[in-house]
Amino acid sequence: MSARRGLFYALKRRARRPLCGRIFVGALGFLIAGLLSGPVSAQPSELVARLSTERVSITTAFIGESILVFGSTEQPLGPGGDEVIVLARGPQGPFVVRRKVNVLGLWLNGPSARFGDVPVFYAVAGTRPPWQLLPEQARQERGIGIDSIPLEFTGARAPGFRRALVELKRSSRLWQEDPSPIEIAGSRLFNFRLFLPSTVQPGTYRVEVMLVRARRIVATEQLGFIVQRTGSAAEIEKVASGQPVIYAILCILAAAFAGWAGSVIFRRG
Amino acid sequence: MAASLAWFLHLQVYLPIAEMSVDAFLLVGVGFGVGWLSGLFGVGGGFLLTPVLILLGIPSTVAVASGANQTLGASVSGLMAQARRGNVDWQMGGVLVAGGLFGSVAGVQLFALLRRLGQVDAAVAIFYVVVLGSVGLLMVMESVRAISRRRRHGDAHRLHNHTWAHGLPFKVRFRKSRLYISVIPPLGVGFVIGVLSAVMGVGGGFMLVPAMIYILGMPTAVVIGTSLFQVVCVTAMVTFLQAVQVGGVDIVLTLLLLLGGVAGAQFGASMGGRLRGEETRALLGTLVLAVAASLLWDLLRLPPSLFSVGPAL
Repeated sequence: MSARRGLFYALKRRARRPLCGRIFVGALGFLIAGLLSGPVSAQPSELVARLSTERVSITTAFIGESILVFGSTEQPLGPGGDEVIVLARGPQGPFVVRRKVNVLGLWLNGPSARFGDVPVFYAVAGTRPPWQLLPEQARQERGIGIDSIPLEFTGARAPGFRRALVELKRSSRLWQEDPSPIEIAGSRLFNFRLFLPSTVQPGTYRVEVMLVRARRIVATEQLGFIVQRTGSAAEIEKVASGQPVIYAILCILAAAFAGWAGSVIFRRG
Repeated sequence: MAASLAWFLHLQVYLPIAEMSVDAFLLVGVGFGVGWLSGLFGVGGGFLLTPVLILLGIPSTVAVASGANQTLGASVSGLMAQARRGNVDWQMGGVLVAGGLFGSVAGVQLFALLRRLGQVDAAVAIFYVVVLGSVGLLMVMESVRAISRRRRHGDAHRLHNHTWAHGLPFKVRFRKSRLYISVIPPLGVGFVIGVLSAVMGVGGGFMLVPAMIYILGMPTAVVIGTSLFQVVCVTAMVTFLQAVQVGGVDIVLTLLLLLGGVAGAQFGASMGGRLRGEETRALLGTLVLAVAASLLWDLLRLPPSLFSVGPAL
């Protein structure tokens, strides 16, 4: 009864946000279809998970996006039952962390550390905090939790750089650890809203959904989505990086024309 | 109606080169404010725009490159108006631009080097503090002296002051400016402004105008028009080099700033006509000093975060 009420409230809450509502209804449709076809297949799977979209478009109106990670399990979820962990990773990339030092009273960039290969995006969430769900060693091996991201760097030797990278990534929401717990509805349905800030990089993103039973991962679903620039944002970026000379000339002409046209429109007297 | 206004007020736009989402209305507003001041004082306003953009969290590379591009757009109509009124000394402008083009090439190389060293942010700030601080101080002192002299003696008028610049070789007659001077000082002035334009993302009018008056001794009537000619040419060059070499010109950012900028400039210009020369210069000098002081404070105070992260080049 309470579970049904929970689902009802979840639906009602979502209905106020049109986009999320649409996603959620779509997700439910998917789930119902999955549940109906379930008994037909020979081996009912322990875990079914999907994403609300497999393509995130960076347009000139892009302000970040939420992706719904949802699914169902065979066994009931929640305290005493199964648990779910969602792990999302973006493409890897090199980063430089710089530390400011005081030179003659001025704060300038001083020593720096280069991190060769770290995820540009990383998010982890669970029905409960993952470190409560898995033994420490298993958690580290599967790369669950920000502290399990390997952070090898070259350059200045100081432990502060590693901590600074984590802090800066977390504050820009490009690395997230338990932003909000995975919601359980109807004891076998789960959903988690994965938030991508507007600074996400284009590339291939992997989403791993893991089913945990008795402190062991018993089933895994590998999902993924692509973040790509589309529309005029993509065109501008493509021309700027591919044909910089043409882009430069276009910028000069566009600015000159806009300045002239604007002064004609706004001329007073 | 109210809903659509609210939507417009919170319209976020994604900047494809800066790779971030910003409030479009805020940028148009910043453009308007800077445009208003630039119209009021007859300068490009780039020296205000770039620091404000950096303050808003736009990366220095994008702020400088797009600031130069916006200054180009903002100066075009002014140049056309001045040219129509015959206030441009094309001959002197040509010499200044020749120096300016070399200067901008040198400046963009310096900028690219600073970026590789990871010192762009601090270097841009130091450039601003030094240049704006000294120019602002000179302007305020000079205009205060001029105002007190005028109070005592009434309007003293002289064609121009003779300075050391008039004793150098390669003398050329500049008809429009009624000058017979060496081409070395205008070439040098143009070069320095070109370097500053590239590193600071400014047109350089705030420096060029006093340099033309005090170093070259040009008559005030042609100073604004001729400086606009130099600004348009040099910012076009800087835009080109920054886009090709560094890749920081964000056309979406530029156009949003221009949208507010051109509107603001028209309002400012109609108010500026009521201010006298010395008072205008004293006010502009104070504004320049205020910007320099706030940037200096940012360099001196303990930064909120000692660490910064960026993509490896």
